Amino acid sequence: MPADDAPDGTDAGPPYDCPYCDGRFHRESYLSLHRGQEHPDALTDAERAAFEAAREEEEEQLRLFRLQALAALVFIYFGFLLVYAFSL
Amino acid sequence: MRHERLRTVGAAVLVASLAVALAGRAAAHGGSLQADDARSLAIPLWLFLSTGGGVVGVSFLLTSFVTDRDLIRDIHDRRREVGLSAATRRTLAGVARLVGVVGLVAVLLVGAFGPADPLRNLAVLVVWVGWWAGYTMTTYLVGNSWPALNPWRVGLWLREWLPAPSPSYPARLGSWPAVAGLLGLVWLEVVSPLADDPRLLTGVVLAYTLVTLTGAYVLGETWFERVDPVSRVFAAYGAVAPLYSDDEGRPRARVPGTGLEDEGLARDASDVAFVAALLWVTTYDGLVATPPWRDFASAAVGGGVPAPLLYPAALLAGFGLFLGLYRWAVRRGRRDAESYREPAELARRFAPSLLAIAAGYHVAHYLGYLIELSPALVGALAAPLSPGAPVAVVLPAWFSALALGFVLLGHLAAIWVAHAVAYDLFPSRMQAVRSQYALTAAMVFYTMTSLWIVSRPYAAPPFV
Ligand SMILES: [Zn+2]
Repeated sequence: MPADDAPDGTDAGPPYDCPYCDGRFHRESYLSLHRGQEHPDALTDAERAAFEAAREEEEEQLRLFRLQALAALVFIYFGFLLVYAFSL
Repeated sequence: MRHERLRTVGAAVLVASLAVALAGRAAAHGGSLQADDARSLAIPLWLFLSTGGGVVGVSFLLTSFVTDRDLIRDIHDRRREVGLSAATRRTLAGVARLVGVVGLVAVLLVGAFGPADPLRNLAVLVVWVGWWAGYTMTTYLVGNSWPALNPWRVGLWLREWLPAPSPSYPARLGSWPAVAGLLGLVWLEVVSPLADDPRLLTGVVLAYTLVTLTGAYVLGETWFERVDPVSRVFAAYGAVAPLYSDDEGRPRARVPGTGLEDEGLARDASDVAFVAALLWVTTYDGLVATPPWRDFASAAVGGGVPAPLLYPAALLAGFGLFLGLYRWAVRRGRRDAESYREPAELARRFAPSLLAIAAGYHVAHYLGYLIELSPALVGALAAPLSPGAPVAVVLPAWFSALALGFVLLGHLAAIWVAHAVAYDLFPSRMQAVRSQYALTAAMVFYTMTSLWIVSRPYAAPPFV
C-alpha cells in the first residue's frame, strides 16, 4: 500500500477511486471498506477478501485506540481527583 | 464478537459513571458561583475551567467507544409517524396563525399605548419572556412550529391577491442576508434598551413587520428560507427537536438531536456561517456584560476608537474568529482523517452539531429568566392595560447548577452527532475518530471560554 506513508494524508499519494461512485480514497484499505459497505452486492471474491482483511486491520487499530482512550480516561480522572483533593 | 461488545459496553459504563461523578462535582461548584452575589468560586478558576474542558474531552473519548455502525445508524433511523389527521393539522395551523397575528397586533398596540414600566408591559413580556425565552425553547425541545405561527407569513397571501413580482433571488447571496440580519439584531439588542423600553421595542417590531411583509411579498417563500433571520433561527433550532415534518408536511418523531445528522441541513457555506453566528451571538451577549470587556472598551475608546464602532467591530471580529476556528478545525480533521472529501462538504456536514450546543446555552441562559418573569407575563396577559404588581419568584441555589447541566447536555449531543456524521462520511472508523480530534479541541476551547465568561461578575455594557 503505497499511500500508507503519505506524509500528512491530504491530497498526497495516488488516489484509489471507487468504480461505482465518485468516492476517492487515500488508502486501498479505505476503498475496500467503502466498497464492502456501500456496494456489497458488486463484490468479487477477491474484493470480498480484501474487505474482510481491511475490516480486520480496522478492528486491530480500534482495539489499540480503545486501550489508549481508556488510559487517557483513567489519567484524566485520577489527575482531576488528585488536583481536587489538593485544592479543596 | 458478542463477548467483545459486552466488554466495551462494560468499560464504557464504568468510565461514564466516573465522568458523571466528575461532572457532578464541577457542576456543584460552578453552581455556587452564580448563587452568591460575590460569585466567589469555591474552587480556583483555572480548575473550574479545566474541569469544564475536561468533561467535554472525556465525553469525546467515551463516545468513541461506540464503534457499532449498525447501532449508530439505527439510532438515527428510529423515526415514526405521529398520528394526526389532515383535518386536525389544518385546524392547528389555523389556530396557530390566529394566535400569531393576534399576538403581533397586541404587542404593537400595548407596546405603543400600554404601561411604560417594562415589567408590566405586555409587549416587552411577550417578546422577551414569552417569545424569545419560552417559545424558542419549544422550537428545540418540541419542534419548529414557527412556519405555522409566524404572523408575517400573511405577506405571502399578498402575493395571491396582488400582482406578485417574481425577481430571481441571486443564488450566490445564499443565507448571508440572514447572517447579517442575525448579527444586526443582536447588535441592536446589546446597544439599545430594547428589553426595557416598550416604545422602542414597538418601533423595532413595527419596522421588522414592514420589512418582512414587503420581503415576503416580493420574494415569497425564499424570504423566509434565506433572508429572514428569525425564521432561520427557529429552523436551525427545530433541527435539534424530536418532532419534525417530512417532505409532505406530515408530523414525524425522531430521537432528539439526530435530525442534526441529516445531509442537506446546511445547504452551503452561508448556512455554516449562520450556525457559527448563532453560537457566537450567545457568547457575545455574555461577553459584553463582563468587567474585562468594560476595561477593554474603556481602553479602546480612550485610545481613540469611536464608541459607536466598538460593538459592531467586536461582533464582526468575534464572528470571523469563530467561523475561522471552525473552518480550521474541519480542515485539520480532514487531514487527520486522510480524506479526499471537500473541506466545504465536511464543514456543511459537521456544522449542525453545533446547534445542539447553541440550544444548550439558550436553555442555560433563559430558563431562569423565563421562570422568574412568567408570573409577570401571566399578569400582563390577564390584564394587558393595567396589570397588577408582578409576583417575585426566587430561584433555588441549585438552579445555576441545572443551567450548567443543560450546557453539558448540549455538548454531549453535539459530540454524538459529530460522531455519527463522521461514521457516515468515512469508510474506516479510525478515520472517523481522527476526524474529530481538532473539532473536539475547538469545542474544549469554546467551553472554557464560555465558562470563563459565565464566571465573571455582571457589569453593564459601557458606552451604550
Ligand atoms: Zn463507491
